[in-house]
Amino acid sequence: MWIVAEQIAAYAQLKRLSPQTVARWQAWAEPDRAALWELVQALQLGENHLRDFLDWCEEIALRDGSTVAAFLARPELRRPLTAQLGRNDKLKAVKDALRKLRYPRLSQLEEELRLAVKALDLGGRVQVSFPPSLEGEDVTVTITARNTKELDEHVTRVRQRLEDGAIQRLFALLDQV
Amino acid sequence: MKRYQPEEILIERGEENTPVVRRTLDHLPDTPVRIVEPGWEREAPPRDGTDSFAAGKRRLLFTRQRSTFLEHCPAGTSGLVCCNYLVVSLISNCPMDCSYCFLQEYLANNPLLKVFTNVEDLMSEVAKAVDRQPWRQFRIGTGELSDSLALDPLLGFSGDLVPFFAARKNVLLEFKTKSDRIEELLKHDPKDRVVVSWSLTPPAIADTEEHGTASFAERLHAAQRVQAAGYKVGFHFDPLIEYPHWEEGYRDTITQVFSAVDPRRVAWVSLGSLRMTPALRAIARRRFPQTRLLSGEQILCDDGKWRTFQALRVKMYRTITAWLKEAAPQAPQYMCMETTPVWEKVFGHAPSCDKDVARMLTQPNLVAS
Ligand code: SF4
Repeated sequence: MWIVAEQIAAYAQLKRLSPQTVARWQAWAEPDRAALWELVQALQLGENHLRDFLDWCEEIALRDGSTVAAFLARPELRRPLTAQLGRNDKLKAVKDALRKLRYPRLSQLEEELRLAVKALDLGGRVQVSFPPSLEGEDVTVTITARNTKELDEHVTRVRQRLEDGAIQRLFALLDQV
Repeated sequence: MKRYQPEEILIERGEENTPVVRRTLDHLPDTPVRIVEPGWEREAPPRDGTDSFAAGKRRLLFTRQRSTFLEHCPAGTSGLVCCNYLVVSLISNCPMDCSYCFLQEYLANNPLLKVFTNVEDLMSEVAKAVDRQPWRQFRIGTGELSDSLALDPLLGFSGDLVPFFAARKNVLLEFKTKSDRIEELLKHDPKDRVVVSWSLTPPAIADTEEHGTASFAERLHAAQRVQAAGYKVGFHFDPLIEYPHWEEGYRDTITQVFSAVDPRRVAWVSLGSLRMTPALRAIARRRFPQTRLLSGEQILCDDGKWRTFQALRVKMYRTITAWLKEAAPQAPQYMCMETTPVWEKVFGHAPSCDKDVARMLTQPNLVAS
């Protein structure tokens, strides 16, 4: 038990973690502390990422009545650790997977919107984006063109999607959980 | 609910003989009393212990309000629909301790339970404002920096305020509470000018997150009694909390409320999503490590507060407003601290200006008692 606590303390010194963050982590039950330690070590988390991990882990555990160790063992969180990826890509993959657990309905809606945009088939030079965390109604359509002919083609395609109702469905989807 | 028992009563020099101090000392003859100099609390050393906010609630200070009492409700942030509500605070801090309470952050540096002794100044300020504009309808609430009624058996402020407001035709006074302390109210005739409103969450939330408050059943019983005594009643589903099985929880709550009170005599019902600043979340996490409130799907919004993400929030509002419409068709509904687009999604329209909401809430919509 002391080994993890000491390893955390040494890591905290190395990464200059705040005493509050470390105290919070150290207050966890031993198996939970150790499960997160494994991730932290593999991903070399700094203060800000670690704080997000602590928040999300505690919130998921309380919501589901489970333990941190139990859900951190899930394959979608383990897989990126052994994949042939750089540290930043691993971090992104693990953080995305943890966010999906923490925000299941928001993540699902984001995924549905992503698929709906893909189905519009507007080509790579027309981007459709949504407000961060889907808070608000602004859907941003960005068209990039090298000349008027290209611009006309993109606009025509957007107009077709408006006429066949696909874009309206996209707006409606923003409200559907 | 449990009776409030301070550890110490502090009285600012010169306020010893004010009516509210006399009434309190009569009720708490055995509580230690100390006379302090004006401004004492600014220099008072913080109490030892890990939870200075909870400790502060147990020290009752009587002082004078030296600035104005009457203010605009701070919820009227730009970008959000405002209902033109005014607030007066005779008390700062609350004997109860909800895990989401914004006072934990707002009063973090000054957590004493403060009572202002100069209620007559409050009344003369209000009289000046409302009597000068007899054509305008005002709504004024006392529940901004404290619960309006939890301390009423001690302080007896309702005995000053109810007759004062009952005598005025163009103003509604709102007492907002999570208590069942209504005995004082029952001694007065509100003449239809006083609304007693309860903040409600389903019992599963009230029991675990609203520490020291009256239970759901106690609040409901109190609402029945004040309604029978001629008061208008109101309900605030604020904070609206997303938790597993929120649909059943809120459905049951609404059914029980409107079978206990006469829905035709409900002045208003409001809804407002749980909203917390990052600092308040950190405080709640520290003070209530077992709270489940922070586990909902909340995200940081443009006004710097965390709320349930919009699509889910809108779903909750739509679901609950539909049930409310069914249970109390005449009761005006409004939302607190929401944007115009969210109003449009929920009610199909947004008020063109804040006066619209205010007008809807002050119209005589109620059947005679
Ligand atoms: S009753 Fe209101 S003022 Fe009192 S602790 Fe709860 S939220 Fe805060």
